Amino acid sequence: MNDEEKVIHTYTKDVLLPIIKRVKTYLYDEMNIDVFNTSEITCPKNIHLKKNTVMIGTTGSIKLIITLGFDEELLNKMVETFLDGENISEFDLSEVRDSVACEVTNTIIGNAIDNPIDNSDIYITPPVLVCSAKTLNKEKNSKFAFITFITKYGEIELTAVGPKEQFENELKFIEN
Amino acid sequence: MLNILVVDDSMIMRRNIKKYLTSLGHNIIGEAQNGEEAILFCQENNPDLITMDISMSGISGIEVVQKIKELNSDFSIIMITAYGKNSLVKEALQSGAKGYILKPVSEENLYESIGKIYPKYSNTTK
Repeated sequence: MNDEEKVIHTYTKDVLLPIIKRVKTYLYDEMNIDVFNTSEITCPKNIHLKKNTVMIGTTGSIKLIITLGFDEELLNKMVETFLDGENISEFDLSEVRDSVACEVTNTIIGNAIDNPIDNSDIYITPPVLVCSAKTLNKEKNSKFAFITFITKYGEIELTAVGPKEQFENELKFIEN
Repeated sequence: MLNILVVDDSMIMRRNIKKYLTSLGHNIIGEAQNGEEAILFCQENNPDLITMDISMSGISGIEVVQKIKELNSDFSIIMITAYGKNSLVKEALQSGAKGYILKPVSEENLYESIGKIYPKYSNTTK
Protein backbone atom coordinates (compact mmCIF):
# COMPACT_ATOMS: atom_id res chain seq x y z
CA MET A 1 0.00 0.00 0.00
CA ASN A 2 1.49 3.38 -0.93
CA ASP A 3 1.27 6.45 1.29
CA GLU A 4 -1.63 7.97 -0.65
CA GLU A 5 -3.74 4.85 -0.20
CA LYS A 6 -2.89 4.72 3.49
CA VAL A 7 -4.11 8.30 3.93
CA ILE A 8 -7.36 7.40 2.21
CA HIS A 9 -7.76 4.40 4.47
CA THR A 10 -7.15 6.43 7.62
CA TYR A 11 -9.56 9.16 6.61
CA THR A 12 -12.15 6.59 5.70
CA LYS A 13 -11.91 4.48 8.77
CA ASP A 14 -11.55 7.10 11.43
CA VAL A 15 -13.19 10.34 10.42
CA LEU A 16 -15.10 10.15 7.18
CA LEU A 17 -16.97 6.87 7.47
CA PRO A 18 -19.42 8.11 10.14
CA ILE A 19 -20.01 11.25 8.07
CA ILE A 20 -20.53 9.28 4.86
CA LYS A 21 -23.02 7.06 6.66
CA ARG A 22 -24.85 10.05 8.16
CA VAL A 23 -25.16 11.82 4.80
CA LYS A 24 -27.03 8.77 3.51
CA THR A 25 -29.24 8.21 6.58
CA TYR A 26 -30.04 11.91 6.93
CA LEU A 27 -31.11 12.22 3.29
CA TYR A 28 -33.18 9.05 3.48
CA ASP A 29 -34.78 9.57 6.91
CA GLU A 30 -35.32 13.32 6.84
CA MET A 31 -35.64 14.17 3.15
CA ASN A 32 -36.90 10.91 1.68
CA ILE A 33 -34.01 11.00 -0.78
CA ASP A 34 -32.18 7.81 -1.66
CA VAL A 35 -28.44 7.90 -2.33
CA PHE A 36 -28.15 5.29 -5.02
CA ASN A 37 -24.43 5.57 -5.61
CA THR A 38 -21.42 6.73 -3.63
CA SER A 39 -18.07 7.30 -5.30
CA GLU A 40 -14.74 5.91 -4.23
CA ILE A 41 -12.79 8.17 -1.90
CA THR A 42 -10.10 10.02 -3.80
CA CYS A 43 -7.29 12.39 -2.83
CA PRO A 44 -7.25 14.91 -5.71
CA LYS A 45 -4.71 17.70 -6.09
CA ASN A 46 -7.42 20.32 -6.44
CA ILE A 47 -11.13 20.53 -5.82
CA HIS A 48 -13.72 22.71 -7.50
CA LEU A 49 -16.41 23.54 -4.95
CA LYS A 50 -20.01 23.69 -6.08
CA LYS A 51 -21.93 26.96 -5.89
CA ASN A 52 -23.96 25.77 -2.89
CA THR A 53 -21.12 24.61 -0.65
CA VAL A 54 -21.04 24.90 3.13
CA MET A 55 -17.78 24.79 5.09
CA ILE A 56 -17.39 23.70 8.69
CA GLY A 57 -14.15 23.53 10.66
CA THR A 58 -13.38 21.13 13.47
CA THR A 59 -11.37 22.05 16.53
CA GLY A 60 -9.78 19.89 19.17
CA SER A 61 -7.28 17.15 18.48
CA ILE A 62 -8.56 16.72 14.91
CA LYS A 63 -8.35 19.82 12.78
CA LEU A 64 -10.19 19.59 9.49
CA ILE A 65 -12.22 21.69 7.14
CA ILE A 66 -15.19 19.70 5.95
CA THR A 67 -17.42 20.86 3.12
CA LEU A 68 -20.70 19.64 1.71
CA GLY A 69 -21.67 20.95 -1.72
CA PHE A 70 -25.20 20.56 -3.07
CA ASP A 71 -26.50 20.55 -6.63
CA GLU A 72 -29.20 23.14 -7.25
CA GLU A 73 -32.08 20.71 -7.73
CA LEU A 74 -31.15 18.72 -4.64
CA LEU A 75 -31.01 21.86 -2.51
CA ASN A 76 -34.41 22.90 -3.89
CA LYS A 77 -35.81 19.52 -2.87
CA MET A 78 -34.42 19.92 0.65
CA VAL A 79 -35.86 23.44 0.90
CA GLU A 80 -39.24 22.05 -0.18
CA THR A 81 -39.08 19.46 2.62
CA PHE A 82 -38.06 22.03 5.23
CA LEU A 83 -40.89 24.36 4.22
CA ASP A 84 -43.41 21.50 4.16
CA GLY A 85 -45.76 23.16 1.70
CA GLU A 86 -45.52 26.63 3.16
CA ASN A 87 -45.35 29.40 0.57
CA ILE A 88 -42.71 32.06 0.89
CA SER A 89 -41.81 35.10 -1.17
CA GLU A 90 -39.02 35.10 -3.76
CA PHE A 91 -37.30 37.64 -1.53
CA ASP A 92 -37.19 35.21 1.41
CA LEU A 93 -36.37 32.15 -0.70
CA SER A 94 -32.71 32.98 -1.15
CA GLU A 95 -32.19 33.34 2.60
CA VAL A 96 -34.12 30.13 3.25
CA ARG A 97 -32.00 28.22 0.73
CA ASP A 98 -28.76 29.40 2.35
CA SER A 99 -30.10 28.61 5.79
CA VAL A 100 -31.22 25.10 4.78
CA ALA A 101 -27.83 24.30 3.21
CA CYS A 102 -26.06 25.43 6.41
CA GLU A 103 -28.49 23.64 8.71
CA VAL A 104 -28.30 20.33 6.84
CA THR A 105 -24.49 20.46 6.87
CA ASN A 106 -24.37 21.40 10.55
CA THR A 107 -26.70 18.57 11.50
CA ILE A 108 -24.90 15.91 9.43
CA ILE A 109 -21.39 16.84 10.57
CA GLY A 110 -22.44 17.50 14.18
CA ASN A 111 -24.28 14.20 14.45
CA ALA A 112 -21.43 12.22 12.94
CA ILE A 113 -18.20 13.84 14.08
CA ASP A 114 -16.19 11.60 16.34
CA ASN A 115 -12.68 11.50 17.70
CA PRO A 116 -10.82 8.29 16.96
CA ILE A 117 -7.54 9.58 18.40
CA ASP A 118 -8.12 10.20 22.09
CA ASN A 119 -11.91 10.46 22.57
CA SER A 120 -11.58 14.11 23.60
CA ASP A 121 -14.33 16.44 22.40
CA ILE A 122 -14.29 17.68 18.83
CA TYR A 123 -16.15 20.95 18.32
CA ILE A 124 -17.39 22.31 15.04
CA THR A 125 -17.47 25.91 13.92
CA PRO A 126 -20.70 27.54 12.79
CA PRO A 127 -21.32 26.72 9.10
CA VAL A 128 -20.14 29.14 6.42
CA LEU A 129 -21.69 29.25 2.96
CA VAL A 130 -19.39 29.63 -0.05
CA CYS A 131 -21.27 32.12 -2.19
CA SER A 132 -19.63 31.44 -5.53
CA ALA A 133 -17.74 28.51 -7.01
CA LYS A 134 -14.14 28.21 -5.81
CA THR A 135 -11.23 25.98 -6.66
CA LEU A 136 -9.07 24.72 -3.80
CA ASN A 137 -5.53 23.77 -4.74
CA LYS A 138 -3.65 21.31 -2.57
CA GLU A 139 -0.55 22.70 -0.94
CA LYS A 140 2.31 20.32 -0.18
CA ASN A 141 1.45 20.08 3.52
CA SER A 142 -2.26 19.47 3.07
CA LYS A 143 -4.43 16.53 2.08
CA PHE A 144 -7.83 16.38 0.42
CA ALA A 145 -10.32 13.56 0.59
CA PHE A 146 -13.28 13.72 -1.76
CA ILE A 147 -16.48 11.69 -2.08
CA THR A 148 -19.55 12.15 -4.29
CA PHE A 149 -23.07 10.97 -3.41
CA ILE A 150 -25.51 10.57 -6.27
CA THR A 151 -29.27 10.98 -5.91
CA LYS A 152 -32.09 11.40 -8.41
CA TYR A 153 -32.02 15.15 -7.67
CA GLY A 154 -28.29 15.56 -8.25
CA GLU A 155 -25.09 15.19 -6.29
CA ILE A 156 -23.64 16.03 -2.92
CA GLU A 157 -19.88 16.42 -2.72
CA LEU A 158 -18.10 15.82 0.57
CA THR A 159 -14.59 17.18 0.97
CA ALA A 160 -12.24 16.98 3.93
CA VAL A 161 -9.13 19.15 4.02
CA GLY A 162 -6.47 18.76 6.66
CA PRO A 163 -2.80 19.22 7.33
CA LYS A 164 -0.80 16.29 6.04
CA GLU A 165 1.26 16.07 9.25
CA GLN A 166 -1.79 15.63 11.39
CA PHE A 167 -2.81 12.50 9.59
CA GLU A 168 0.71 11.11 9.48
CA ASN A 169 1.61 11.75 13.10
CA GLU A 170 -1.58 11.61 15.08
CA LEU A 171 -3.32 8.88 13.14
CA LYS A 172 -0.05 6.95 12.76
CA PHE A 173 -0.90 5.63 9.35
CA ILE A 174 2.79 5.24 8.46
CA GLU A 175 3.43 2.91 11.38
CA ASN A 176 0.27 0.96 10.66
CA MET B 1 -50.13 26.95 26.83
CA LEU B 2 -46.52 27.96 27.42
CA ASN B 3 -45.01 31.32 26.48
CA ILE B 4 -41.83 30.45 24.64
CA LEU B 5 -38.69 32.25 23.44
CA VAL B 6 -36.88 30.60 20.49
CA VAL B 7 -33.13 31.26 20.26
CA ASP B 8 -31.23 30.07 17.20
CA ASP B 9 -28.86 31.67 14.71
CA SER B 10 -30.36 29.62 11.88
CA MET B 11 -33.31 31.31 10.22
CA ILE B 12 -34.85 28.05 9.01
CA MET B 13 -34.55 26.51 12.47
CA ARG B 14 -36.26 29.45 14.16
CA ARG B 15 -38.98 29.25 11.55
CA ASN B 16 -39.56 25.51 11.93
CA ILE B 17 -39.28 25.41 15.73
CA LYS B 18 -41.86 28.22 15.96
CA LYS B 19 -44.14 26.32 13.58
CA TYR B 20 -43.87 23.08 15.60
CA LEU B 21 -44.43 24.82 18.95
CA THR B 22 -47.43 26.74 17.62
CA SER B 23 -48.84 23.49 16.27
CA LEU B 24 -48.45 22.01 19.78
CA GLY B 25 -50.61 24.83 21.11
CA HIS B 26 -47.90 27.04 22.60
CA ASN B 27 -47.40 30.78 22.26
CA ILE B 28 -44.20 32.22 20.78
CA ILE B 29 -43.51 35.44 22.64
CA GLY B 30 -40.15 36.14 21.05
CA GLU B 31 -37.25 34.97 18.97
CA ALA B 32 -33.56 35.76 19.13
CA GLN B 33 -30.83 34.99 16.65
CA ASN B 34 -27.95 35.24 19.11
CA GLY B 35 -27.15 35.13 22.80
CA GLU B 36 -27.09 38.87 23.31
CA GLU B 37 -30.63 39.24 21.97
CA ALA B 38 -31.79 36.36 24.17
CA ILE B 39 -30.34 37.89 27.33
CA LEU B 40 -31.87 41.30 26.52
CA PHE B 41 -35.24 39.65 25.94
CA CYS B 42 -35.09 37.80 29.27
CA GLN B 43 -34.23 41.01 31.14
CA GLU B 44 -37.60 42.41 30.13
CA ASN B 45 -39.80 39.32 29.70
CA ASN B 46 -40.55 36.12 31.55
CA PRO B 47 -40.88 33.25 29.09
CA ASP B 48 -42.06 29.95 30.57
CA LEU B 49 -39.64 28.12 28.33
CA ILE B 50 -36.64 28.91 26.14
CA THR B 51 -35.36 26.72 23.30
CA MET B 52 -31.69 27.48 22.72
CA ASP B 53 -29.21 26.42 20.07
CA ILE B 54 -26.10 25.23 21.89
CA SER B 55 -23.66 26.46 19.24
CA MET B 56 -24.11 30.02 18.02
CA SER B 57 -21.84 32.74 16.75
CA GLY B 58 -20.81 35.18 19.48
CA ILE B 59 -21.79 34.09 22.98
CA SER B 60 -22.20 30.31 23.08
CA GLY B 61 -25.47 28.74 24.12
CA ILE B 62 -23.91 27.53 27.37
CA GLU B 63 -22.76 31.02 28.37
CA VAL B 64 -26.23 32.32 27.56
CA VAL B 65 -27.79 29.68 29.81
CA GLN B 66 -25.54 30.76 32.66
CA LYS B 67 -26.37 34.45 32.20
CA ILE B 68 -30.10 33.82 31.85
CA LYS B 69 -30.13 31.63 34.96
CA GLU B 70 -28.42 34.48 36.84
CA LEU B 71 -31.32 36.73 35.83
CA ASN B 72 -33.91 34.23 36.98
CA SER B 73 -33.06 30.71 38.11
CA ASP B 74 -36.63 29.58 37.37
CA PHE B 75 -36.29 29.95 33.60
CA SER B 76 -36.70 26.57 31.89
CA ILE B 77 -34.32 26.02 29.00
CA ILE B 78 -34.14 23.22 26.42
CA MET B 79 -30.88 23.05 24.49
CA ILE B 80 -30.86 22.14 20.80
CA THR B 81 -27.68 20.52 19.52
CA ALA B 82 -26.26 18.70 16.51
CA TYR B 83 -23.51 17.05 18.58
CA GLY B 84 -24.10 13.35 19.00
CA LYS B 85 -20.97 12.66 21.04
CA ASN B 86 -19.84 15.60 23.05
CA SER B 87 -19.66 16.83 26.65
CA LEU B 88 -21.26 20.16 25.68
CA VAL B 89 -24.70 18.77 26.48
CA LYS B 90 -23.56 17.65 29.94
CA GLU B 91 -22.06 21.10 30.50
CA ALA B 92 -25.31 22.77 29.44
CA LEU B 93 -27.32 20.62 31.84
CA GLN B 94 -24.87 21.39 34.66
CA SER B 95 -25.32 25.09 33.85
CA GLY B 96 -29.02 24.81 34.44
CA ALA B 97 -30.66 23.69 31.20
CA LYS B 98 -33.52 21.29 31.88
CA GLY B 99 -33.26 19.17 28.77
CA TYR B 100 -31.84 18.83 25.29
CA ILE B 101 -32.87 17.80 21.80
CA LEU B 102 -30.49 16.23 19.32
CA LYS B 103 -30.98 17.60 15.80
CA PRO B 104 -32.84 17.13 13.54
CA VAL B 105 -35.63 18.81 15.50
CA SER B 106 -39.16 17.54 15.00
CA GLU B 107 -42.55 18.33 16.47
CA GLU B 108 -42.38 14.96 18.22
CA ASN B 109 -39.07 15.49 20.01
CA LEU B 110 -40.12 19.00 21.07
CA TYR B 111 -43.33 17.53 22.45
CA GLU B 112 -41.43 14.86 24.40
CA SER B 113 -38.88 17.30 25.81
CA ILE B 114 -41.53 19.78 26.92
CA GLY B 115 -43.52 16.94 28.50
CA LYS B 116 -40.54 15.95 30.62
CA ILE B 117 -40.33 19.46 32.07
CA TYR B 118 -44.05 20.17 32.16
CA PRO B 119 -45.81 16.79 32.55
CA LYS B 120 -49.24 18.38 32.09
CA TYR B 121 -48.32 18.97 28.43
CA SER B 122 -47.42 15.34 27.83
CA ASN B 123 -51.04 14.18 27.51
CA THR B 124 -52.75 17.06 25.82
CA THR B 125 -52.37 18.15 22.23
CA LYS B 126 -50.81 14.92 20.92
